[in-house]
Amino acid sequence: MSSSTLMKTFAETDIVDTLIIGSGAGGAPLAAELARNGKSVVVLEAGPAFPATGHTPDEVAARELYWLHERLSAGTNPQAFGGNNSGTGLGGSLLHYGAFMPRMDARDFHLHTETGKGVDWPFGLNELLPYIERVESFIGVSGPAHYPWDPERRYAYAPPPANSAALKMREGCDALGLRHADGPAALITRDIEQPHFGTRHACANCGACHQGCRNGAKSGTDNTWLPMAVAYGAELRPGCFAHTIERDSSGRVTGVVYRQNGVEHRQKCATLVLAAGAVETPRLLLTNGLANSSGQVGQNYMTHVSTQVWGEFDEDIRPNRGYPSLTITEDMMRPKDADFVGGYLVQSLGMMPATWSQNLARSTTTRGPAFARALAGYNRSAGMGINGECLPRPENRVTLSNEKDAFGIPKPLIEHSYGPNEWAMHHHAARLLTQMWEAVGAKDIRVIDRAAHMIGTCRMGTDADSNVVNPVGRSFDIDNLWISDHSIFPSAAAANPALAIMALSLRTAEAMLKT
Amino acid sequence: MSHPPDRPEILDSDHLSTRTREILTSRLSVSTTQPRTLSLRAYAVLDALLPVLLPLDEILPPGTDISMTARIDAALSGPRDGWRFADLPPDAEAWESALLTLDDAATEQHGLAFIHLAPDLRGSLLDAVMDGQVGLDRAGRLTASQMKRWSGDLRGEVVDCIMSDPRIQQALGISSSLTGGDTVFQGFTNVGPDSREDFEPKATASLLQMTDSSE
Repeated sequence: MSSSTLMKTFAETDIVDTLIIGSGAGGAPLAAELARNGKSVVVLEAGPAFPATGHTPDEVAARELYWLHERLSAGTNPQAFGGNNSGTGLGGSLLHYGAFMPRMDARDFHLHTETGKGVDWPFGLNELLPYIERVESFIGVSGPAHYPWDPERRYAYAPPPANSAALKMREGCDALGLRHADGPAALITRDIEQPHFGTRHACANCGACHQGCRNGAKSGTDNTWLPMAVAYGAELRPGCFAHTIERDSSGRVTGVVYRQNGVEHRQKCATLVLAAGAVETPRLLLTNGLANSSGQVGQNYMTHVSTQVWGEFDEDIRPNRGYPSLTITEDMMRPKDADFVGGYLVQSLGMMPATWSQNLARSTTTRGPAFARALAGYNRSAGMGINGECLPRPENRVTLSNEKDAFGIPKPLIEHSYGPNEWAMHHHAARLLTQMWEAVGAKDIRVIDRAAHMIGTCRMGTDADSNVVNPVGRSFDIDNLWISDHSIFPSAAAANPALAIMALSLRTAEAMLKT
Repeated sequence: MSHPPDRPEILDSDHLSTRTREILTSRLSVSTTQPRTLSLRAYAVLDALLPVLLPLDEILPPGTDISMTARIDAALSGPRDGWRFADLPPDAEAWESALLTLDDAATEQHGLAFIHLAPDLRGSLLDAVMDGQVGLDRAGRLTASQMKRWSGDLRGEVVDCIMSDPRIQQALGISSSLTGGDTVFQGFTNVGPDSREDFEPKATASLLQMTDSSE
């Protein structure tokens, strides 16, 4: 965050127009948009304000960017949290996200209509596209001059240079006759003056996107929406863990109790927006017993099928260097030989060494000298990974466990199991990516079965009986409660969620301004 | 500049930020006098287990000890990664129970404490754990399915420990810490295959010497 702007502050007794819990992709665009339109806005963020220059590529230390309040992971595919889904600090998960920024495929909005499975969104791509374009334009997204799957699309910044994994994936695509391109990446490749923030430098190809961008090249909310919000009079309060939502006798929200430095505080508000993500948003609603007449709060937790396939090459690959995941193919969005519904995106993968080693260590049982040799293969390794549709399933959900955290609040229990569609997609991708790597001479090819991201749990739709919020994110039960994050996604779609979260956030802000 | 054998050259690179240098340097000197998390018995089991899981003698220079047991024991009392498997107890308790389960299993199967087993027997017992074949259904111990689950945590913790060690990064020729200095944020100019930049380390590990074509 730039410190050049003196931030306006509000008293706890002030009834602010809008109180927002969460400063990431869901909360920040909305905070900026409401403040820009004259609303008084306070943003509560559980984590600290990290100075960008203090980020470190050391993967163990950089876990300070993860949400560290313990979660319990269950089901037949218990999901790893932290990296790839849950952040803390001003900027939220975008502090450590990979900045891979594809747009949602138009077909993914209507998966149920198309296939009879999954759920439709209450609107289509045409409705969201203007907001998507506003997000891309404001935060800065790089991409190719010609995008093979959408010739009309334009990106304001040239792509960063292709690293070893990106070049190898291009060869693999060529070998199998798949189209490929430089993927959309939320980073800038020339220095700019970001309005309300200051200088952002061009990407230096350092490769540590997931450990926090040190020079402002990666487009997060900390260097875009949040400084804009502050410039228009919003107050950002880091270090504030919100836990209790207070209401009046008619059931409307009146304020939020949060803990800061061990002391309880209360902020009054006219309107509350939850932007805490697909675990913490339903956890807040469940612990407070709110907005759940549909019984859908916490239900239909989704992820992305995120199978990875790694191989070793004869060349010195050095997978830590360069933007990690540049090459994309969208040719698998509806593969002709699919035995599943929906589709998946494929991206090249470089990776930092501890993260890479974790994947290797957890996906094999090799030990002894063979384990040492496998780890020593880091500098020769390149990967590819997918993000694919994950259908909503009743057994996948967020509930409150019997264990309490340090605040005395139940820890969330997240149950996550693949169904037949997810397994079919995993196997399809594992076969295809293995063929691609074999075609370009990779050895010791290794398939890693994993899921990433978190989506769903407070579904958006037109019917109050089966949805938590209406198509603009407003609670059916409490008219001054709104949700702005990926928990409202009715389906997972294949695209990484950050772009759609920010677009929906702007759209929800617009709806709030009309009420 | 000459370097004491324990101080890897990457720590003196101007492509390293002060904070990152401090983090990496702190891993060179770890107190090994007292376990911080585990009981003495569990600590000893871990100490005997690590060399059969991941021997480092073909990676590090002879005689280098990176105090893996002490660092893992300390890490278990430090900040964790924000989640755990619901079918395991909290991390510190899970590790204590798992290591004692392993010790009890060694005694039951071989009549010897784990630390007194020959390396090949320690290895085959670990294989059986990873295969879901070792567990005890009693308080303070883990069942076979819990032990299998924990073995993934064990493997993950071990690779975290070694790949974040500057001596290992130096030995394997890994440049991931060298993203840029405090005043100049250099990043990387070369990002394609076979294009090591001068400031990036060359691998010195003996197991990489025969196959290294990056020169």
